[in-house]
Amino acid sequence: MKTLNILLIEDDMIEVMKLNRATNSLQLNHKITEANNGEDALKILEQKDNLPDIILLDLNMPKINGIEFLKILKSDDRLKYIPTIILTTSNNQRDLLECYKVGVAGYILKPLKYEEYVSKIEKLLSYWSINELITV
Amino acid sequence: MSQEQVEILQRALKREKNARKAAEKILEEKSRELYFTSQKLENLLDAKSSELQGVFENIVDAYVVMDLNGKILKFNEAATKLFGYDIDKEEVKIAKLIYKDDFQYAVECFNNLQTTGFFKDYETRVYTKSKEVKWVHVNGSVVFDKNNKPIAAQGIVRDITEERASAERLIESENRLSTLILNLDSGIVLEDENRNIVLTNNKFCELFKINAEPTDLHGKDCVTSSEQNKVLFKDPEGFLNRMNEIDVAKELVIGDELEMIDGTILERNYMPITIGEKSKGFLWTFTDVTLKRTYRKSLEVQKQKYYSIIANMHLGLVEVNTDDEILMINQSFSEMSGYTEEELLGKRGGEIFPVEGGSEIISIENEKRQKGESNSYEIKVNTKQGDIKYWLISGAPNYDINGNVVGSIGVHLDITELKALELQKEKLLLKLEKSNDELQEYAHIVSHDLKSPLRSIDALVSWLKEDNKGTLDETSLKNFELIEATLEKMEQLISDVLEYSSVGTDTNIKAEVDLNKMFSDLTTILYIPKHITVKALNQLPVITGDTTKLQQLFQNLISNAVKFIDKEVGLVVIDFEDLKSHYKFSIKDNGIGIDKQFHDKIFKIFHALNKSKDSTGIGLSIVKKIVDLHEGQIWLESQPKVGTTFYFTLKK
Repeated sequence: MKTLNILLIEDDMIEVMKLNRATNSLQLNHKITEANNGEDALKILEQKDNLPDIILLDLNMPKINGIEFLKILKSDDRLKYIPTIILTTSNNQRDLLECYKVGVAGYILKPLKYEEYVSKIEKLLSYWSINELITV
Repeated sequence: MSQEQVEILQRALKREKNARKAAEKILEEKSRELYFTSQKLENLLDAKSSELQGVFENIVDAYVVMDLNGKILKFNEAATKLFGYDIDKEEVKIAKLIYKDDFQYAVECFNNLQTTGFFKDYETRVYTKSKEVKWVHVNGSVVFDKNNKPIAAQGIVRDITEERASAERLIESENRLSTLILNLDSGIVLEDENRNIVLTNNKFCELFKINAEPTDLHGKDCVTSSEQNKVLFKDPEGFLNRMNEIDVAKELVIGDELEMIDGTILERNYMPITIGEKSKGFLWTFTDVTLKRTYRKSLEVQKQKYYSIIANMHLGLVEVNTDDEILMINQSFSEMSGYTEEELLGKRGGEIFPVEGGSEIISIENEKRQKGESNSYEIKVNTKQGDIKYWLISGAPNYDINGNVVGSIGVHLDITELKALELQKEKLLLKLEKSNDELQEYAHIVSHDLKSPLRSIDALVSWLKEDNKGTLDETSLKNFELIEATLEKMEQLISDVLEYSSVGTDTNIKAEVDLNKMFSDLTTILYIPKHITVKALNQLPVITGDTTKLQQLFQNLISNAVKFIDKEVGLVVIDFEDLKSHYKFSIKDNGIGIDKQFHDKIFKIFHALNKSKDSTGIGLSIVKKIVDLHEGQIWLESQPKVGTTFYFTLKK
């Protein structure tokens, strides 16, 4: 299985911990880069020689929110090819539609139960690790 | 006797003898003279006769001589031409020439001729050789010989066929004219210089109530008659005076009106009739115009009525011609627009009032009028005072008598206040929509923000359990489980609140929903324990509504029913009834039942009767809200411990 370079954009500390703990307990060797908000993420993405394979994006964030960030990403000639998966609590139909309209590679609802979360993350990451991705 | 006496007597006798001889000689001479004269006269007569004969033969009219037996002896050229016979070649009897109906008359004439020796102006019809009938005029006389014995009859015959025909035509047209006059719908009196009636007709007698034939009036004096007739009129003296006035002036008068006692209105005309320079009399005509006048009067009344309606109605009225130039406005329009009628007449309505594209609307509307279309439209206008007003204009084309469009008439209603309300309503709606949106967003954000900590707590709890595996005692593990259950309930509560707040939105998504399919879908989605049967009694209808919400409705009610069944064999029965405008549904269970006092309360939010692990108290509030959205009602019948039936109606 391929090791993925994952950019996690998430402002909630515990959510970051959850992903890390989940990948650890699943014994996955993916490299996770963390950004606490959209601005930080854009800074990280400036390093064009070290772009992530996929982006996991939360919608509810301070400053630049998820959808705004997504729009910036998709208007960039290079960054727009990075598969971006939404990881959110919002089951708002409007958000869902808007995200697919701008262009996302997936929309995953964060479940209440941690076990369920681990299971979803496992499936998500295994799916993307078998995908062919555009590399620099 | 003395010698002397004898001598005297002898001398006297001798003188007498001589005198007689002289007289005899004179007589003889005279006699001779007379003979010669007579001889001469006879010759002269002969000459005259033959001369006369020549005249007859050569005159233009036909000249006919016949013997006393009626055999034609002589025809002159004109006669030959007239009758067509050549008497040198055939014998012609006069009887053959007489038209059969006139034969009796001919015989009379012939007798007349024999007794008096002549006849004059005998007019009769004759046959020509070609059996043509001709009218002729004959003057005839007997011809005597030297011994004064009648030997023949001669006559001058003139062809008057043409004259006769034109005379007949004249009579005919005179007859026609007099019939026409007699039956004319106007009363007529033709009088002469002395004011005597020459001609009148039936209508005149009728109008003046004269019980006589028109002909009986001929020759009557108009002055006396009028004196008698004046009582028929409301103003008898006026009638006479005016008539005398006209008579004195002897000039054309048209359209005098006379009012009679019985209400009849007569129109009187007077005209002197002159042919060339010559006066032929004076013609009075009287026409009954009562109907016309009363018609005009009632028309006037109607007109006045509509005029006052127009003037007093609360609607502005404007009449324009095809160039949109104002021809007439009413008082209300003057008040509406702030302009006086004088200020507006001749101006173009489409140029004075409209603002914001109104002029174009008006010109488009005017084109429609030209095509004969009517409709109404709204425009925004500026009054003279500069106030902005909204007018609703109902326009219709205006036609002349021949059906041509000559402009249009617009009825104007000031709808400014209405419009303001409408605009206000629109604004409010927009505002409402916006605030609904905001609320919706708010609900989502709140629910997200509330749920996030729950997730975190759940993760932390599970890590605690995981990291301390084997070191935790029974009670701690139990407490962890309680934390997790509480988290789940909290999450459910948040989801339900969000759902409840969402029900009022997006109602415009209406579609045909097949409830049978929805019901069978639900039975697979819902958790239904083995001992409970959920069934529909009949085929369910297809209704129009919001699929998601209808599903939510049935789902909540069915799951509620299932949830509260305490019997060993559970039964949930769904049925419906068709009620014209609505469908009435029922969902019946044999569960724990609901006490009467709670029947209203249960539909209110956060009023769950049973504080159970999976009951948030919002489900039935959502149900009520969905039923409200479908213009229906919800109620229930229940018997505690026996079961509950929920009824609800949905609009078709």
